[in-house]
Amino acid sequence: MKNFFQRIEWKDKLLGVIVPLLVLIAWQSAVSLQLFSPLLLIPPLTLVDTLWYLASSGELTTNILASLNRVVFGFLIGASAGFLLGLFMGLSSFFDQFAGPLIKASKQVPQFALMPLIILWFGVDEFAKFVFIAIGAFYPMVFNTYQGVSSVSKRYRELAQVFDYKGFRYLTKVILPSALPLIITGVRHSLGLSWMFVVGAEIFGADTGLGYMMAAARNMFQIDVVMSGLVVIGSIGFGINFILQIIEKRLLVWRVSTDQGAKCKS
Amino acid sequence: MSIQKGTLEIKNLSKSFIVDGTPLQVLSNINLKFPSGSFISIVGSSGCGKTTLLRIMLGLETRYEGDALLDGERIEGPGANRGIVFQDHRLLPWLTVGENVAFGLDKLDRKAKKLIVDEHLKLVGLSGFESAYPAQLSGGMAQRVAIARALANKPEILLLDEPLGALDALTRMHMQKELERLWLLEKITMVMVTHDVDEAIYLSDIVVIMSSRPGIIKKIIKIPFARPRDRASSEFMQVKAEILKEFHLGTEYPFAYAI
Repeated sequence: MKNFFQRIEWKDKLLGVIVPLLVLIAWQSAVSLQLFSPLLLIPPLTLVDTLWYLASSGELTTNILASLNRVVFGFLIGASAGFLLGLFMGLSSFFDQFAGPLIKASKQVPQFALMPLIILWFGVDEFAKFVFIAIGAFYPMVFNTYQGVSSVSKRYRELAQVFDYKGFRYLTKVILPSALPLIITGVRHSLGLSWMFVVGAEIFGADTGLGYMMAAARNMFQIDVVMSGLVVIGSIGFGINFILQIIEKRLLVWRVSTDQGAKCKS
Repeated sequence: MSIQKGTLEIKNLSKSFIVDGTPLQVLSNINLKFPSGSFISIVGSSGCGKTTLLRIMLGLETRYEGDALLDGERIEGPGANRGIVFQDHRLLPWLTVGENVAFGLDKLDRKAKKLIVDEHLKLVGLSGFESAYPAQLSGGMAQRVAIARALANKPEILLLDEPLGALDALTRMHMQKELERLWLLEKITMVMVTHDVDEAIYLSDIVVIMSSRPGIIKKIIKIPFARPRDRASSEFMQVKAEILKEFHLGTEYPFAYAI
């Protein structure tokens, strides 16, 4: 039985390869048939060459590290602020009514529209980039945490009351575990947006980072470097999400389905 | 002489909720006294306030008129001397079976905790399941864990709010036997809310019949039969008929006839 399911899983995965393969074939055909100027569309193999060149020259690593560094700081600032605000809003309806409306309303402003303002206020140095990324990381975290904390079932709140769980113990043993699935969703979206925002911030003005690498290459019409940047950004984003999914599975191991049955130790 | 542990007394108790700005009386002038160590069932149609009464005993409803006394002291909130089993097992899904049973033992050290958990899982027949998650258990098993969790605190009174209501008929009868076994073993007072008359007769020393709007006590029936009880015996049937008669009058007697 187990073998059978594994085979199905493999089939599903193979199915997902078909479309990218078709795109690759179409791409190579378009190049071979010279449908576009070679200045605008490079052959897939050239892209591989460029990626190899960028990687071996160390240029790629430097820029990846620069971008990751910004993401980590921006994410930590924005997500922590979002988590704390979401937590307080979820725990206290007074605080929710006090701070909630502004946070909810300000979410309607597209965050990229804040870029000019941030540049005017903070310039284009590192700090401005952290602020921009933090804003991107903030919103998914604040809303998911709020949702998770405020929607703890009354059944569990009563149980905590019966067993005299209060304060910090109540928070860590009941509220946070119950909110954890949504908090993890918040982290995933938050980190995903941070990764998008860092590229945005670097395109606007930077001297390192993947966004900078692409913007500089565009100025010099190095289409192969621009496309390499896209591939790298996409792959890292995919990788981050993949790792977070594994962490999520580990943390939410209790969400097992009933048909797996109980494992008896004795 | 002091009162025996686990004695529950309710004096002139009334309770109303505010619904849409107007008070709705759910319990009216309830007087009850449960001797320590007895098994009591409260039966009544839905909406008769039996669950509210149980929640008052538990301490989750604290605003009421009159007195609900446990060992002579007024109940003002939840306490470790009262255990509860809800209709839904209410196990925390992120904790293992063992951690759920230990939920009320937070202040003990690890060794003491493990000892009590092992003892109580064995008591409900679930030894070896301590590392399973609630989602992996059947309804009956989950309810056993919930009972183990309630008993682990060594309560004087175990309150049961339709504990078997969500189980299928066969599991239910099996669990009734289990409850009886646990009651005989633990020798504590158990108060069970149920709408199953058979279950009430099978398990109880005292059956309290309530009627609704507002909830009042209609009749208190003592059941002195030997245990284990035979559901098909004539004395069982007689008591059942007596109880069911009360319900007919309470719920199905047309208003016109009463005039």
